[in-house]
Amino acid sequence: MDGPAVEIEYLKKRYGSFEALAGVSLSVPRGSVFGLLGPNGAGKSTMIKSLLTIIRPTECRGRMLGRPIGDRATLGKVGYLPEHARFAEYLTGREVIAYSAGMTGVPVRETRGRVDRLLETVGMKAWGEKKLGTYSKGMRQRIGLAQALVNEPEIVFLDEPTDGVDPEGRIDIRKMIEGMKAEGRTVFVNSHLLGEVEQVADQVAILSHGKVIRSGSVAELTGTGKHFEIRTLGPVPPALRERLESAGIQVAGDRIGVPAKDAGEVQSVIDALRAAGIVIRELKESRQSLEELFLSAVQGARQEGGQP
Amino acid sequence: MRAAMTILWDSFRLLQAKKLFWIALGISMLVALFYASIGFNEQGMTLFFGWKEFENPLLRQGQPEAAAFYVLLFTDVILKFWLAWIAVALALLSTASIFPDFIAEGSIGISLSKPVGRLRLFLLKYFGGLLFVALQVTVFTVIVFLALGWRTGEWNLTVFWAVPVVTFVFSLLYAVAVWIGVWTKSTLFALLGAFLMWGVALLGQWTESFLYQAAHLVPESGIEFDYRTGEQVEKDSVEKNSAAVSFHKTAKAVVTPLPKTRDCTTYLKRLIKMKERDSLLAGVTFDMLLSGSLPDPRMAGAMKRNDERHSFWYVFGTSAIFEAVVLSLAAWVFCRRDY
Ligand SMILES: Nc1ncnc2c1ncn2[C@@H]1O[C@H](COP(=O)(O)OP(=O)(O)OP(=O)(O)O)[C@@H](O)[C@H]1O
Ligand SMILES: [Mg+2]
Repeated sequence: MDGPAVEIEYLKKRYGSFEALAGVSLSVPRGSVFGLLGPNGAGKSTMIKSLLTIIRPTECRGRMLGRPIGDRATLGKVGYLPEHARFAEYLTGREVIAYSAGMTGVPVRETRGRVDRLLETVGMKAWGEKKLGTYSKGMRQRIGLAQALVNEPEIVFLDEPTDGVDPEGRIDIRKMIEGMKAEGRTVFVNSHLLGEVEQVADQVAILSHGKVIRSGSVAELTGTGKHFEIRTLGPVPPALRERLESAGIQVAGDRIGVPAKDAGEVQSVIDALRAAGIVIRELKESRQSLEELFLSAVQGARQEGGQP
Repeated sequence: MRAAMTILWDSFRLLQAKKLFWIALGISMLVALFYASIGFNEQGMTLFFGWKEFENPLLRQGQPEAAAFYVLLFTDVILKFWLAWIAVALALLSTASIFPDFIAEGSIGISLSKPVGRLRLFLLKYFGGLLFVALQVTVFTVIVFLALGWRTGEWNLTVFWAVPVVTFVFSLLYAVAVWIGVWTKSTLFALLGAFLMWGVALLGQWTESFLYQAAHLVPESGIEFDYRTGEQVEKDSVEKNSAAVSFHKTAKAVVTPLPKTRDCTTYLKRLIKMKERDSLLAGVTFDMLLSGSLPDPRMAGAMKRNDERHSFWYVFGTSAIFEAVVLSLAAWVFCRRDY
C-alpha cells in the first residue's frame, strides 16, 4: 500500500483534432493535498475525468492506488465532487449521499450512521431531510462534499470545490480538506483560486494548454524565487549602486533586492552598505507568492509555445 | 446487487417526483373504476354502479354474452385506447427526460466514477424507466381483475398478461427515446423521435391491416366489392383478388422490421383467454354486441382469422429484435461517449 496515490506516466486526450492533454505526467504522494492549477481550459477537469473513467483518454499509462488507471474496482476507494455538480432536485440531501453510498457498495446497515456523521461534518444536519431543490448553491456544494466521502475513500477528487461559495463557506471547505488529510486521505483539488490552494496544498502542478509546466511542493516552488529585501534610509549612492548592480543585485531607490537562498549570503551586502555609512531600516525575507509563480509560469509557457 | 438496487430505487424516486406519474395513475384508477361500475340486470346493462340503465336483448344478467361482453370491453376498448394509447403517451412524456437529465454535465460524473460498469448502469437505468408503465398497468390490471371476477364470477388470471405486454409496447418506444436522448442529450429530440417512430410503426400496421381486409377479410366474408362503382354484393363464394393479395404480402414484408406497437396490444386479446368469449363471441366485434346483433357464422369465421392472422413470432419476435437493435445502438453511444 505504499507508493504514490496517483502516478501518471503519460496521459493524452484529444477531442477530435483538439489536444486537451498533451502527454502529461505527474505524481501525487499518498496522504498529501495535491493542487492542480491552471487557467480556464487548461485541461484540469479533463485530467480528473480521465482518471475516473468519465472520459476515455486517447492514451494513458499510469497507476492509481496501485492499480492501472481505469480499473473499475479501484473506483470504490475513490471519492469525487464534479465541477458544477448537479444533483437530482427530487432527492433530499440524505438521499444524495445514500446514492453514492449505494453505488460504491457501502453496506445498507452502515449507510445511515455514515450519512448522519457526514451531514454533521459538512454542517447540514438540519437540512438532511429537505429536498435539494430548496438548497442554496453553497449547501449543494456541502452535500456534494459529503457524498464524495461516504465510502471512506483513500483519495478524493474535488473539481473546483469552492466554486460559487461565499468566503465563509470557503474557509469551511478548506477546513474540511484539512480534515480529510488528517484522516489520512489523499486529496486532489482542481482550482484556479491560487490563494486557497496555497493555504492548503502540499504539492502543486501547474497545467497550461494541456501541459504540466511546473510541479513540486509549494515550499519548493515558491522557494525558487526567494530573495531578501533591504531598505535603506535615503537612496543608495550611485557608485555603490553600480557595484551592487554589477553583482546581480537589484537596486531601486532605497530598495535593494538580493536573490539568496539563506540569510548568510546577504551579510556581505549589509557589510558593504554599512561600510558606506548607509542606514539600514528594514531587512526581510520574501517569497514569491503562488500567484506570481503561476502568472509568470503561464505567461512563460505562452511565449515559448507561440504556435497555435 | 447493492448498486443495482440503488439505481432502481433512484428511478422509483424519480417517478414519484413526477407530477405526470400521479396524474396518469389518477386517471388510470378512474378508468378502472368506471369499468368496475358497469353491471348487468334483467333488462340490460347498467352504468355507474346501477345508476343508469340501458336495455339490451343480449347483454343481461346471467347471459354468457354479458360476461363475454364485459371481457371484450376490456380487451377491445380499454386496452386499445387507454392502455395502448394514452397511458403509453403519458409515460413517454414523463420518461423521455430521464436519460438526457442523467447524462447532463455535472450529474453523470457521480454515477460513472463509481465501480459500476457503464453497460450495467445503462441497462439498469433503462429498466428503471420501464417501472413507470409497469407500476401503472399493474395497479390498473388488479382493479380490472377484481371487477371481472365480481361481475362475471370468473377469476381470470390471464388478464395479467396486460402488464408485460403493455410494458413491452412502451419499452419499444422508450428504447427509441433513450437512443436519441443519449445521442443528442436533448429531451425534446428524444420525444420527437419516439413519437415519430410510433407514428411510422402505426402507419405501417394500419396499412397492413387495411390491405389484409381488402385482400382476405372481405372476400372471405362473402362480400364482393366493385372497386369502380363502389358497390357491394353478397355472394356464396368470392374469388380473392390476386393483386390485392400480393399487395398485402409486400406491405407485410415492409412492416416486418418495425416495432408492432398496435399488433402487440391486439395480440393481448388472444392471450387473455375467456371461455365464453372464445366460444360464443369468436369474431364478434364490440359494435355488433352493443347493437345487440350477432354476425353470421361465415363472417364471424373470417373475422376470427383476421384477428389471428399474425403469429406470436411475427408480433413479438420482430419487435424484440427491433428493440434489441435500437437498445444496442443506444448502449453503444452511452458507453463510448466522453462526458
Ligand atoms: N467534450 C469535449 N469536447 C471537445 N472539447 C472539449 C470537451 N471537453 C473539454 N473540451 C476542451 O478541452 C479543454 C480543456 O477543458 P477542461 O474542462 O479540462 O478545462 P479546465 O482546465 O477544467 O478549465 P476550467 O478551469 O474552465 O474548468 C478546453 O479547451 C475545452 O474546450
Ligand atoms: Mg474544469
